[in-house]
Amino acid sequence: MQDLKLKAAEKRGIHQLGGDELVGWDEVTQGIILTSFEGDASDIVHKKAEERNYSDFNSYTATVASWRVKKPVFNIDVCIDCQNCWVWCPDTSIISRDKQMLGIDYDHCKGCEVCVEVCPTNPKSLLMFGEQEDLETALSQWPEKKKKEK
Amino acid sequence: MAITSIKNLKEFSTNNDRFEGAHTLCPGCAHSMIVRELMNCTDDNLVIASNTGCLEVSTAVYPFTSWDTSWIHIGFENAATAVSGAEAMFKARKKKGTLKDNDASVKFVAFGGDGSTYDIGFQWLSGAMERGHDFTYICLDNENYANTGGQRSSATPIGAHTSTAQAGTHSYGKKQKKKDIVAIMAAHDAPYVAQLAPNKWKSMAKGFQKALETEGPCFINTVSPCCTEWKFDPKDTINITDLATDTLMFPIYEIINGHELNILYRPKNVLPVEEYLAAQGRYKHLFKPENKHVIEEIQKNINEYWEMLQRREEARV
Amino acid sequence: MAEKFDLNEREVWDGNYAASQALRQAQVDVVAAYPITPSTPIVENYGAYVANGYIDGEFVMVESEHAAMSGCVGASAAGGRVATATSSQGFALMVEVLYQASGMRLPIVLTVVNRALASPLNVRGDHGDMYLGRDSGWIQIDAFNAQEAYDLTLCAFKIGENHDVRLPVMVHQDGFITSHTAQNVYPLSDEKAYGFIGDIVPVDDMLDFSRPVTYGAQTEEDWHFEHKAKQHKALMDSRTVIDDVFAEFEKLTGRKYNRVEGYDMDDAEVVIVALGTTVETARVAAQELREEGVKAGVVGIRVFRPFPFDQVRDMLENAKSIAVLDRSSPGGAMGAFFNEVSAALYTTPNRPLITNYIYGLGGRDFSVAEAKRIFLEQKANADAGHITTDIQQFSGLRGPHLGYFQTKRS
Ligand SMILES: Cc1ncc(C[n+]2csc(CCOP(=O)(O)OP(=O)(O)O)c2C)c(N)n1
Ligand code: SF4
Ligand code: SF4
Ligand code: SF4
Ligand SMILES: [Mg+2]
Repeated sequence: MQDLKLKAAEKRGIHQLGGDELVGWDEVTQGIILTSFEGDASDIVHKKAEERNYSDFNSYTATVASWRVKKPVFNIDVCIDCQNCWVWCPDTSIISRDKQMLGIDYDHCKGCEVCVEVCPTNPKSLLMFGEQEDLETALSQWPEKKKKEK
Repeated sequence: MAITSIKNLKEFSTNNDRFEGAHTLCPGCAHSMIVRELMNCTDDNLVIASNTGCLEVSTAVYPFTSWDTSWIHIGFENAATAVSGAEAMFKARKKKGTLKDNDASVKFVAFGGDGSTYDIGFQWLSGAMERGHDFTYICLDNENYANTGGQRSSATPIGAHTSTAQAGTHSYGKKQKKKDIVAIMAAHDAPYVAQLAPNKWKSMAKGFQKALETEGPCFINTVSPCCTEWKFDPKDTINITDLATDTLMFPIYEIINGHELNILYRPKNVLPVEEYLAAQGRYKHLFKPENKHVIEEIQKNINEYWEMLQRREEARV
Repeated sequence: MAEKFDLNEREVWDGNYAASQALRQAQVDVVAAYPITPSTPIVENYGAYVANGYIDGEFVMVESEHAAMSGCVGASAAGGRVATATSSQGFALMVEVLYQASGMRLPIVLTVVNRALASPLNVRGDHGDMYLGRDSGWIQIDAFNAQEAYDLTLCAFKIGENHDVRLPVMVHQDGFITSHTAQNVYPLSDEKAYGFIGDIVPVDDMLDFSRPVTYGAQTEEDWHFEHKAKQHKALMDSRTVIDDVFAEFEKLTGRKYNRVEGYDMDDAEVVIVALGTTVETARVAAQELREEGVKAGVVGIRVFRPFPFDQVRDMLENAKSIAVLDRSSPGGAMGAFFNEVSAALYTTPNRPLITNYIYGLGGRDFSVAEAKRIFLEQKANADAGHITTDIQQFSGLRGPHLGYFQTKRS
């Protein structure tokens, strides 16, 4: 079953959109500038999310989990690591490492279901369940391989 | 430049995204699929400018940014000019040696919606193309002003319903054909111009990499299906894009140096345009008997355009 | 390295040439520009300096003034020194981006050669464009002649790029009267001028890839107000930096600038308050009238934004009758400049009489005789103890008298 904080940098999804604290005029940044990282970020392109030092201004530290009514559940047993879900997820919420699909970033997934649509396996390796459904129960309900209809 | 491997999706997926989640684009929005793909196509530093529009208002909402690279938004019309200025400054500072890292390789990219590209920012884009800055402009073409609630743009196809080109008892929606932005950009003698679609991820990635690698101004029009304004279920974004490319409503091709045209995708089975239209609420009214002629016209336009593309490809002129 | 440019101790330059020499000496990295009369020569000259190796910079000739300022914003966010020039309709076309530049706190220098706004189309000087910039969040400095256009353009870089300021700066001069009139100008040597301004030290540099920055975020009702307040404070606080830069410039050159310039103001009873070249005309009139025993004085506003509310008040509170001269079509109100000076004086115990003259639109000549007449009207007011004319009058206009409002006396 998927670890909910799978491959997360420390601050993933800790903030509400809009900002938790509405600071005063003396504390807002000069020129509406937002910095994406703390410290030297020169080689960020070669660092995976969990190795990055995101600043509090990076939306990585915010969550949109409340947008979902349904959530995708990942079944690693069926997955063939084709990475279709990774390339088309609009919310950078498919966690792939070393060519392997590992699971969903539930802080950023909006439940659009695109990943389910593009998953080619039979049965699908991703399926939508109610937001409240626990992952174990969801996995226990996984359908069998569907026969091709003639 | 450091381009990343796009041999297959597995290789491609080893890239570390520089476009972060918790932006506020609608669920299923194709804009972010396109942006992610562009950013995953290169390891180089990026300076990105965005015009006002869905992408911009959803990815830099104070106090959050979804961009892990340098990014700037000025106004609705001027992203092409913003990167022009940044690119000129890069050159000036490189000459003087005042950059923080004088050897850093960098790519300049501008994103605009169809509204800012075909309409309000047309002049700014044309100017930047003519001046020959080394940058890539990517239009996220969802065929309407989505950010302001779905008004018509000059990219809206004939027959589509929008909030300012309404379908009603006396109207079948937009009366004018879509502006041919790709031809116009090619006419700027740009070294690389293309029309690409996110469902064909590989040709899109190839096109992006070509544009990034090519010195000079490059332009790419991408189809960006908008579930909210086209009125389809968000899960179908890629399915709709498949219909767009397989009906040839949205042909995939490139034009090199203003004349050498290559078709990048030839559907095995070209589907009738009805299949594409029927999948979207914005074309619902076209299926009334009195609007049958519009569908016929759309199909005719598609056939003629496809014919033209093929001839140009053969002619190599 | 840029080629050496030979300068004499005294040059004969017009205002445009003077401004462009300041851009050269500042070694501006990027100029993105679009031509418009009367400011065109400033950017033409910059281009020529680049073409001949006198500047190591990039000259980007864009397709409109909106694009010119947009290019300047992109360039400035990319960490180097940026300037451009414009006038009139070009200025109007830039307006959207002026606000964006100041909101992003980018120290761009814009030399504005003031010209009337159409319609009717007119290439001559008035202050319509300058007024259009007055709420845009830029520092606005006003030069009254070519020497000042040169000096103040140098100062503008040093002020705007100061890390306590980080704001864009306009340097205004009057179209044709200053921009196209050759006058004596005493330039600094290149070394001295550059040494005075110094290197630009970037802030939030888009080309520093170790620290990616996002410029131009969206703020709605829960954040916008705080950002605008912070920006206003930066503009208000720039006053001390402007004073410091002017003081340093005086040390270097002996030429002293003040945010409000007073001439013959020690004992002045009747005063003209004006902007631009009119200040110089009024000074001549004041001196002539003093010979006739009229205690005339002139106040010129050097720094129009941030508006020197307290200094205007200090300078004018002991006067008896004041004429505020607006060289911009007031569009259904009292002149904007009049309103600002009046507001400052309203907070004094004496509250001198104050009237408004609309003059010089579209480059209509403003003569010493006209200035004298205005002074004498103030004298009449002072003697009568109340305003004897309309509170707003058009001056130098053909046809019947045009004026509005009278003092309410019970
Ligand atoms: C000068 C100006 N005019 C109008 C607007 C309002 N406006 C903002 S975004 C937008 C439409 C954007 O459409 P498009 O470029 O197609 O981008 P999309 O939102 O569809 O991605 C409009 C009309 C504006 N911000 N600025
Ligand atoms: S449901 Fe949508 S947002 Fe969530 S992981 Fe799947 S594609 Fe991404
Ligand atoms: S699309 Fe399906 S099979 Fe492919 S990687 Fe994702 S979950 Fe696995
Ligand atoms: S309205 Fe359309 S383009 Fe805009 S965010 Fe939503 S889906 Fe994307
Ligand atoms: Mg659009």
